[in-house]
This record gives sequence, structure tokens and C-alpha cells, in this order.
Amino acid sequence: DRTQSTAFTKKESGSGDKKLRSGTSTSVNLASANPQYYAATPRVMLQTLNADTANSAHINKFMQINDAFLESIGKGHFPGYLATDFKLFGQAALLYRSLTQQLVDQLSEYSKTAAPKKATVIDGKNGAGKSAELMKLASVASSSGHIVIYAHSTFPWVNSSRPYAPANEGDLYVQHELTMELLRTVLSLSKDALKKVPLGKSVALGKKSLAADKTLADLVEFGIHTPSLAHDALEHLLAIASTQTQVPVLIALDNVNTLWCNTLYRDQEDVILPANRLRLVRTFLPFFEGKAALAKGWAVGATSYIDTRFMPKDLRLKLNPPVMVPITNPDVASDPN
Amino acid sequence: MLHLLGVNLPDQKVVSVALTYFYGIGPQTARKICSRLSFHRECKLSELTEGQLNQLSGVLSEMTIENDLKRQVSANVQHLRQIGTYVGKRHAMGLPVHGQKTRNNARTAKLLNGKMLRRYSTASTTAFAMFNSPVSSKLQ
Repeated sequence: DRTQSTAFTKKESGSGDKKLRSGTSTSVNLASANPQYYAATPRVMLQTLNADTANSAHINKFMQINDAFLESIGKGHFPGYLATDFKLFGQAALLYRSLTQQLVDQLSEYSKTAAPKKATVIDGKNGAGKSAELMKLASVASSSGHIVIYAHSTFPWVNSSRPYAPANEGDLYVQHELTMELLRTVLSLSKDALKKVPLGKSVALGKKSLAADKTLADLVEFGIHTPSLAHDALEHLLAIASTQTQVPVLIALDNVNTLWCNTLYRDQEDVILPANRLRLVRTFLPFFEGKAALAKGWAVGATSYIDTRFMPKDLRLKLNPPVMVPITNPDVASDPN
Repeated sequence: MLHLLGVNLPDQKVVSVALTYFYGIGPQTARKICSRLSFHRECKLSELTEGQLNQLSGVLSEMTIENDLKRQVSANVQHLRQIGTYVGKRHAMGLPVHGQKTRNNARTAKLLNGKMLRRYSTASTTAFAMFNSPVSSKLQ
């Protein structure tokens, strides 16, 4: 029976099935579908990547990314080419490489000893696996009790796709919605870790102040519920988290090159805004320019050459020391395609 | 549809595109208005709050657009005609104004030029009146 067959896959666009002119539905009911033409997508059983499974025994094996981690960053908002890859595989799984093990070892080392004074930036050609490595690192850090501040893409920070407004004071511009979303991601990735760290001092946010016995989780929740004070909450979060040594912190920013680019935003005189005029970018810049450091933890970034509008020409000069050797992926280097 | 200053603007359009629906506002002016009011590039009209719409109305009210602009252009053309300039005469005759050839083509000019004069026609602004004007009598 081929009356319900379709030659294409309809994109998910709201409720209801769109009917073709002939009146045939576009969706396939597998329960009544002809088994000769339709089969359920096989699902490979894989181990989930977390702090326990991130070890050398799983090198060169595919591992499933934690569902909770994917929910926190929002399914469908995968960085780089990962969305296409996950759709091809049928599930969110990545290869655990030797490079991944090196990054995990470095993460665990910095969670025990003093953090490096300089941030780490992963650079490489398109498709080398920079975003994938950062995602795996953030996933492992989240499961191992780190405070994870992970931005899977910083393009929305600079491509003028989200609301912005001039700050009340100074020449900066604020992005309340984006900051609120970042805080939401931080809370969903590391709620337990945030609850372990007390504020240590009374924090004033607008007309309200949080007592010293409150935790970072309360601070983040306050920022989420009060978008106009989200920037203040984020700045206080970074200030307290970077100075405490109780819980290690991971700052992971994908498309980190956007921190130094010219944005697509314009000021009120219609002049293009550089990224450092955005308060959200200004919050993270000190960690990647060596002006601020984490007491315990690691700041990692990954560049992206997908949208060259946001790749400043002098990026290599911004990184000190400059990138000596681009990280190449030996698995794809041998593949001529 | 959002009705703003006498013009129906499509809600689902991006603000900088919707503003071009006003007579007198093109892409550049629309972009400058959005920058002045800090509207991001992908902001749609339906996403604007009431306060932002009021600010937008305020900015548009300061500008000369729609009927005010049409009146101004029409007055400029009439002034050129009344003082007897070459450009004014070309408008009155419905011919090209900027030195284009009239041996062929010139269809747009013949269709559109002089419409503003005909809309507000007086004896001194018509083509017939041109031949009877004091200036043309001196040329003869």
C-alpha cells in the first residue's frame, strides 16, 4: 500500500501535517507503512560521555553526548557542522579522540592545581573538529562537577540577530536576552556546582541585594528572572567564580574570534560597533586577553572560519603567543575528500 | 498589519524593510532610523513594544515623508515653472528634464513629467500658457 508514501522528509514546522494538493498526507505512519519500503532508523547503543567514561580506554570510540547537556544548549543549536553530522548519524554522538583525552587530562589537572594565567584557544581549519572538542570538554566538565560557562556559538552576540540597547551609563551596549540565555545555560549545566559556592559578601543588584550566605545558584536565578540585571548578575558570577578555589570553573566559548571582530550592530550615529563595545563581550574579554585569570579552572575558546565576516585579520596578533601550528585532525588528514 | 502615520505596514517584515514602505524612506534612511533607535537587523515590526513604536512614530514625525514630501516636490517643480526655467518648461511639456534624447524613447518622461503641474494646474503652468508667457514672447 503506497498511498501514504512520500519521497521527501517534511521539515518540522509547527503542528499538523501539511496536505499535498492530491490530499495525501506528507507524514509516514510507520505502524501501517509497508515494511518493504520503510524501516525504523537503527539506533546504535553507545556509552554516554561523562567524567567516568572519559578515559583512555574509550579513545577512537563513538560516545553519546549527554541528553541533559544537549537540552541545556538547546537541540537544533549545535555549533558548526555538528547539526548535519548528528542528523546523519541519527543521534548526537562524537568520536572520542586522543586529542579529547589530552584536553580532559588538562581539565582535570587545572581543576586540582592553579589555573593557567593564559586562556587556551583551539584553532584549525574548517571541519577539523574544534567545536566538537569544545562540546565534549564542556560535557565532561559538566558531569564532573565544574561550574561550566559554555557558549556553543557567539555569533548571535555580534551578528545583530538579537535585541540590543545602549547602557544607562558609559558607551557600552547591553544584550539582556542573550545574557539571560547564557545564564540559563550555566544554571542547567552546573546547578549543583553553583549551589556549593556561597557569595561570600552581600551582592547588590539594582534595588535588591543578595545576602552573603546565598549561593551562586541564587545569583544566576536572580539574573534569569530579572533580564534587566542579567549583565550585573553575570559579571558578579564571573568575579566570584574566578576568585574562589572551592569548585573549578570552565569557560568555554565557541567562535571565540568574535570577541575581537567588528559586529553588525551600529550605534546611534550609524557607526559600526566593535565587539568590545558590547557589555557581554567585554565581560569575557579579560580572560582571553590575559588581563584576568581563574583561580581554579580553565578558559578555552575555539575559533571558527565559517563566517569570515567575524574573523578579524589580526586575530593571530591578538593571541599571545600566536598560534604556532594549527591543530590538524589526523583522522581526516588522510582522507583526500 | 500595523497602521503607522497613515501607512499600512506589514507586521511580519523586518523593521528596516517595512520602513521603506513610506514615501521618502529608502533602505539607507531606514537603516539609520533603526540604528538611532537601536533596533537590531532582524527585528520585526511585530516584536516592537509600544514604547518602541512610539519612539519610531516620533522619529518619523520629525521627517518629511509621504504627503508632506509630495507637496514639497510639487512646489519645487511649480516654482521652477513659475520663474520660467528650462527645467520648468520641460516639466510643463512632459519631456525629459536632464538632457536625454527625445528622438526616441523618453516614454517615462512623457508619462510622468508634468503630473505635478497638471495636478495643481493654473494658467501659468500649462503647456499652452508656456507659449503665451512673457519669457517665450521675448524668445520669439
